[in-house]
Amino acid sequence: MGDYKFAKDKLAEVIGALKDYQVFAPTAVGDVVRFKEVEDASAIKLDYANSNVPPKELMFPETETLFKYRVGGADIESAVTEPKPRLVFGIRPCDALAYTIVDKLYNWDFPDPYYQERRDGSVLFGMACAEPAANCFCTSMGGGPASEKGLDALMFDLGETVYVKTLTDKGDKAAKAMGLDAAGDAEKKAAEAVEKDALAKIKRSLDTEGIPEKLPSLYDHPFWEQFSDRCLSCGICTFLCPTCHCFDIQDEQEGFDGRRARMWDTCMFSEYTVHTSGHNPRPTRKERTRNRISHKYSYFPEKFDVIACVGCGRCINYCPVNIDILDILEKSKQAEVKEAKA
Amino acid sequence: MSEEFEPNIVAFLCNWCSYAGADLAGTSRMRYLPNIKIIRVMCSGRVNPLFMVNALQQGADGVLISGCHPGDCHYLEGNFYARRRFMLMRKLLEHVGVDPGRVNMSWVSASEGAKFKEVIDETVAKAKEAGPMEQFRRRQINW
Amino acid sequence: MVDENKLREKAKEVIARDDVRRLIGWKRGTYGFESAPIVLTDASEVDQLIFDPTCVQNPASFVSLEEKLPVPRGQEPDTRKVAVLVKGCDSRAIVQQLVEKAYDRDKIVVLGVPCTGVVDRRKAQKMFGVTSAPVEIKEEGDKYVLTIDGETKEAPKKELVADKCLRCRFPNPLVYDELVWDEVAKWADDDFADVDEFEKMSPEEKWKFWDEQFSKCIRCYSCRNVCPMCYCVECVVQKLKPQWTRRSTDISENSVYHIQRAWHLSGRCIECGECERVCPVDIPITKLNRKMTRDVMAMFEYEPGVDVEAEPLLACYNPQDPEEYIM
Repeated sequence: MGDYKFAKDKLAEVIGALKDYQVFAPTAVGDVVRFKEVEDASAIKLDYANSNVPPKELMFPETETLFKYRVGGADIESAVTEPKPRLVFGIRPCDALAYTIVDKLYNWDFPDPYYQERRDGSVLFGMACAEPAANCFCTSMGGGPASEKGLDALMFDLGETVYVKTLTDKGDKAAKAMGLDAAGDAEKKAAEAVEKDALAKIKRSLDTEGIPEKLPSLYDHPFWEQFSDRCLSCGICTFLCPTCHCFDIQDEQEGFDGRRARMWDTCMFSEYTVHTSGHNPRPTRKERTRNRISHKYSYFPEKFDVIACVGCGRCINYCPVNIDILDILEKSKQAEVKEAKA
Repeated sequence: MSEEFEPNIVAFLCNWCSYAGADLAGTSRMRYLPNIKIIRVMCSGRVNPLFMVNALQQGADGVLISGCHPGDCHYLEGNFYARRRFMLMRKLLEHVGVDPGRVNMSWVSASEGAKFKEVIDETVAKAKEAGPMEQFRRRQINW
Repeated sequence: MVDENKLREKAKEVIARDDVRRLIGWKRGTYGFESAPIVLTDASEVDQLIFDPTCVQNPASFVSLEEKLPVPRGQEPDTRKVAVLVKGCDSRAIVQQLVEKAYDRDKIVVLGVPCTGVVDRRKAQKMFGVTSAPVEIKEEGDKYVLTIDGETKEAPKKELVADKCLRCRFPNPLVYDELVWDEVAKWADDDFADVDEFEKMSPEEKWKFWDEQFSKCIRCYSCRNVCPMCYCVECVVQKLKPQWTRRSTDISENSVYHIQRAWHLSGRCIECGECERVCPVDIPITKLNRKMTRDVMAMFEYEPGVDVEAEPLLACYNPQDPEEYIM
């Protein structure tokens, strides 16, 4: 594909040139970085470790209308529309990799039209990480600070210039629309140096060999209690995880108009598996913690051949009680499987 | 819009005193503003202050809780508890930026039909001044 | 500063008792300025316990968090006690839970730890960055000495200590069976000046502020789950029959959630500040709760989490309670 560059102080012009796209970029409000639609290019923050809320909210928003209805009416008004093409500017490679993982689920037995129309209509311009954060372990999960998976273009911050490497036709088209200059070998070499530096800065790692197979055998093992004892059952790890994708569907009504909406749900809440009878097969935090880890690292890979984790480290950074996924997985490798019950 | 804004008020009236007072206002043919929708509860102490918040969320522009005078509650103490709850909720809503004129409480006894009329008129006037409730009203946001 | 060895000794004595089932304290976290709550069941695990300025979590939350499942037929429920290490602010949660009869006093063993302040992780991360290796922090006079990646660094205490500690009125535990260290002198007071400041704003300005804050909310309910006073088995926001608050995350439902939670905590919030610490989108939740704390003190002369013999605020009344604004 193509190699381009632009001067960082020309960012506003570059974004401004994208008139045919709805541009989303990381914006900071105080210490919180979230992906928002760009109104003012000076609000874009490109030197961030990772956004607090992952950009999954761009592909499946926290609350989304599925269809609208009118009481007494015969038809429903579907919410699948043809939105303007979107460009996500400055997404990290781990979050783009997360999209490819979630794609598998949302296209598994039934292609999810709401998710898919956003996915198909989005061009992803990734920003390679120059400074991985303390808890990043993307290299252990099939990604990396300059991983190209899932991206349409990958940018490298070279100080005053930004080198843009387009990876797909969609990316190339957008780069041309931005009116970028061509880049040369100097930029490519500098980008390679950025990647090499970043790889050396990744401190945490995990060998995932054998984990998907081992976890189910630890179902009755008491080691889960070490972690679930302090779990608060809040939703932070799931809401901030770029590969977590569970949702709840609710009908809401205002007078005679109503809508069916879906919103993020979390397996960590006690009511997630409450049955209509009142029985809850996962009544305590032990069952729920065990389920979450097993789902991400064993049941999901069993079905889709990829671990549902990209190593972004958000769950470690934001867990109020320091439940560390790498700690759990390391301990699971060491845990001895008890004799199977007859 | 030439129509003047007419607020919707939800009034929680205790069965023994305030509701009877409202009945008296009606049978005495006192004219009070029609903006209120009355919900009869057995005691003002039964009213969960979240009802007020829910009412404001679902289209009410003002809320009123009315009970027996302190010391005269049919269930002896219900209105004392209601008074504490109301004072706290009103402070909280004021802190969030809701016009305090939207949340009201009154003591109306069964023989105070005239007072009931005044209470309603005042509640409606305050809600009119506060304007339509927009802040956290449910209104098909992002549907 | 508390001698960790003495703390471990006391903890060992307690967990070794026949009538104690588990002990909740803190242990070293896995990275940076973290500590983690730990639940011990055996005296051999006591060496993991620490107490230093990173111990910000409230172990009192975990006493009610433990689920009580029905016991299989033929088995007796385990009625042994739960021991818990608490700082000053944490002990207020125990007091308030006892006031509300969440559990009996003889079901817990409280080991009080007088506290001289905890570090605010965000401030520390801004100053020193986040490290992969856990950091050790010691307090020396009015400064903190930190060991980060093998290097020793110093910082003035008042730049790193949490905001809540700068107005701490209860550094010493208010309820305890044993103190693991000597009581400390009180160093701060709280005049609720921040609440007064906020009250000067007009209603429009106030709503503009809260509109922005509540719009950020992703309803992860971390604030609720970390709160020691939020221990309802079924929270009102979980109820579906009837449904009070919808699950959608628009300004209407988010506002009502926060108003409802501040309401349910009025007269009960013990100001541990955990809600604000854990919020992933930085909503200033304590601004709501502190207003209620201040007003409860002013209107009813009541302070939660201080007197075990007190009655819950809304379970009692005074015939002379204030009634301005009541027609």
